[in-house]
Amino acid sequence: MDAPTRAQTEAGIPAQGARQRRPDAIRPDDLRAEGEPWTWLLGGALALGIVMVLGLLLLVAWNGATTFWPRPIEVVTLTDGSRIAGEPVRSQAFRPGPQIIAELPPGIRARIAADGGIADRTLYRTGNYDLYGDDFRWVPDFQRSAAERPGDMVLIERLEWGVFVGRIVGFTHDGERTTTGDPRNPALEAAYRAARARWAEIRRIERGEIGTVNHHLEAERLRLRRVLLGDHPPAEREAAERRFAAEEPRLTAAYQRLAAAAQRLRAENARDTIILQEIGGREVTLPLSAVVRLVRANDMTLTEKIGVYLSRWWEFLSEEPREANTEGGILPAIFGTAAMTLLLVIAVAPFGVVTALYLREYARQGRITAFVRISVNNLAGVPSIVYGVFGLGFFAYIVGASIDRLFFPEKLPSPTFGTGGLLWASLTLALLTVPVVIVATEEALAAVPRSMREGSLACGASKWQTIRNIVLPRAMPGIMTGLILAMARGAGEVAPLMLVGVVKLAPELPIDGFFPFVHLERSFMHLGFHIYDVGFQSRNSEAGKPMVFVTTLLLLALIFLMNIGAILVRNRLKRRFQGSQF
Amino acid sequence: MKKRTLLIGGGAALGVALAGFRSRALAQAVQVDPELPVYAPVAGISGTLKSIGSDTLNNLMTLWAEGFQAAYPNVRIEIEGKGSSTAPPALIAGTAQFGPMSRPMNQREIDAFQQRFGYPPSAIRGAVDALAVYVHKDNPIRSMTMQQVDAVFSKTRRGGHPTAINTWGQLGLTGEWANRPISLYGRNSASGTYGYFKEVALFNGDYRDEVKEQPGSSTVVQGVASDIAGIGYSGIGYKTADVRSVPLAARPGAEAFDATAENAYAGDYPISRFLYIYVNVNPTQPLDPLRREFIRYVYSRQGQEATIRDGYFPVPNAIATEDLRSKRII
Repeated sequence: MDAPTRAQTEAGIPAQGARQRRPDAIRPDDLRAEGEPWTWLLGGALALGIVMVLGLLLLVAWNGATTFWPRPIEVVTLTDGSRIAGEPVRSQAFRPGPQIIAELPPGIRARIAADGGIADRTLYRTGNYDLYGDDFRWVPDFQRSAAERPGDMVLIERLEWGVFVGRIVGFTHDGERTTTGDPRNPALEAAYRAARARWAEIRRIERGEIGTVNHHLEAERLRLRRVLLGDHPPAEREAAERRFAAEEPRLTAAYQRLAAAAQRLRAENARDTIILQEIGGREVTLPLSAVVRLVRANDMTLTEKIGVYLSRWWEFLSEEPREANTEGGILPAIFGTAAMTLLLVIAVAPFGVVTALYLREYARQGRITAFVRISVNNLAGVPSIVYGVFGLGFFAYIVGASIDRLFFPEKLPSPTFGTGGLLWASLTLALLTVPVVIVATEEALAAVPRSMREGSLACGASKWQTIRNIVLPRAMPGIMTGLILAMARGAGEVAPLMLVGVVKLAPELPIDGFFPFVHLERSFMHLGFHIYDVGFQSRNSEAGKPMVFVTTLLLLALIFLMNIGAILVRNRLKRRFQGSQF
Repeated sequence: MKKRTLLIGGGAALGVALAGFRSRALAQAVQVDPELPVYAPVAGISGTLKSIGSDTLNNLMTLWAEGFQAAYPNVRIEIEGKGSSTAPPALIAGTAQFGPMSRPMNQREIDAFQQRFGYPPSAIRGAVDALAVYVHKDNPIRSMTMQQVDAVFSKTRRGGHPTAINTWGQLGLTGEWANRPISLYGRNSASGTYGYFKEVALFNGDYRDEVKEQPGSSTVVQGVASDIAGIGYSGIGYKTADVRSVPLAARPGAEAFDATAENAYAGDYPISRFLYIYVNVNPTQPLDPLRREFIRYVYSRQGQEATIRDGYFPVPNAIATEDLRSKRII
């Protein structure tokens, strides 16, 4: 062929004839000659992509991993003689305004002028919100006359009011006061451990035992209400009322006994206090049981620092949130995310696979199937919030409200299924991700060689037997890939969930010891929404920032783990069918 | 509308009493009215407590719910906060027992409620908020009048300021600030803060199109914190070290007051407001124990301490008693 084809010219591949005709044509050793510029472009795009993804991951991982590392406490003496204490958080350069500069002594003024009008300042986390009314403070360098890190400064994480920064003055045990400034005082440590043990015991009584009593009481109340609501004969109504009249005092007495036990422990706890002093000299008395963690920030060995670090991580992973989600742990969110994703897979797998099977294996390929395919592909492009609106309107308000009227009339007007919940959220996300599964399954089915089906049919197997024993197992790895994609998309989705069941705070897990054990109607917490909530809705966005990074890190880890799990399953399946190839 | 600025006699007296507590070196946190009762749990409270409504009150509801749950371990809590406008539909549909709102319900919402139930919804005044106008921490502005605030945020200027204010120089700043354009941050229209600010600070005018609408109160503060020329409004509870609240004067020439508890109680700070929780209380029936106890908890010493923990101001005992009486809880 003499003239270069259109495709060759476009791809930069010179044809023989072209080179002979044009003296300025590309030489064969030129990079462009082999289509190399395109390879470079592709490689460059890949490198850029990897750099961006890695950069993001590293940013999240670094910020997330360092959040819980104990930081030193600095005591700063200001030029006006007052002192503040706090963890230095970050520093920045700034340009002090003319009003500020005018009030400064000449020496400092000259120094700032020499630096081009720029000075540095540091943000300190001073804590003690109950005393100061704020918990962060910027200190410009020119206001700082001295900074030190005294060994007796402690950071105390409290159940309420955030952290306390200051010194220990003493403690009371059984009402007896001991004066000590030493955080390592063995008597203090023993009293602290005892108080925390009592606190855990109170929690066990309240959550476990009182919880059970209250649950039974509520169940009795609902049983009575159910009978009274329905049109039962008077004898039955009276029997129900008698039963309630007999049960109620018994349960109330049990409650009172348990409450009294908890109250006794509380009274004991009230006698064990720790007396603290902030840097300005004001004293605070705190029950020892309200101290979550006592960190001797400036006086710790590496092992102790690692201990604090790990114990903070453990608290984060295994506890409920405190103080409007800004402290404590995120166990309910981890659990909610995992449970929702699992339910989503359980719902989406059969639907998607069955649809794809019918479309590919049974349906007559014609205009209607083509139309269905196009519709499925279009579904994948619908914005996720639309699914949320649909889920709320259809699942919660129509299906859920009917379920409530039929099965839970005694609880109305409080809705049971008639509002967002775990089940509705999973189903909504299943709808959202079903196109992914259908498309992937269809592709996998199409990839099974025709010869295998024909072989099976020739041996006398029916169509269903062929699909069941030959086609489906071979297509399984492809189907699993579809499910993995669906799962990853579902776990990272937040917008539709905000409408159908994810809430800011729902500390109770959807699983407990009461029948029916799994409570799919409950609202739940979700890591993705938690990130949004802590990052953009918490009182102090400065304090919330580190939690955002930690939670993001955790969400990434969770999705990563689930994907790894699914990939392992897929690889096992793949291996199993490797030997059976023709 | 003028008398929307707060409170009754007891509040003013509390403000005066509070002034004595302030320490010189460091700002002193607000104190709770010592007359408020300490909450004592009663037997047999359980069930689900669901609240849907204001984003401003989101954290406060959470703190209350956490405290309430500490007293009643197996009350189930679910809290959702996407804006005050989501509260009335939730109360009407019965999907929530509590509807926190950062503004009073408007007539249309009350009518819709009344049409469904035959009686109006009941409001609980749970906390006091001073709606603060925030600027970047390096912004040297000393104070603003309400008319200036209106001229900055609105395009209608019903407040009566003669010209639109576009640069910081027009607010009296000099030097590098003189030509710096003002960058506006605000809330989205589902928010009660949006509605209240429009009513009081914009004199019912319209927001400018340049206002960057944010999904949450905290986002407004973060926006202003990262934008040196920024200005925005949010509840005082969301203040951080990176922003400064501007003292406001009701009229040109009048004294400017900062967004503190005393000024809010005394009614000196021009945009202070109550934060409400709306409840469906049937006047012919007693309130169910769960809701009754939650309301009692809100008006207890522990409950009002939570308002301080969230950065808002507590209500005095006089208001608590009045609201509890009107709901026939005490």
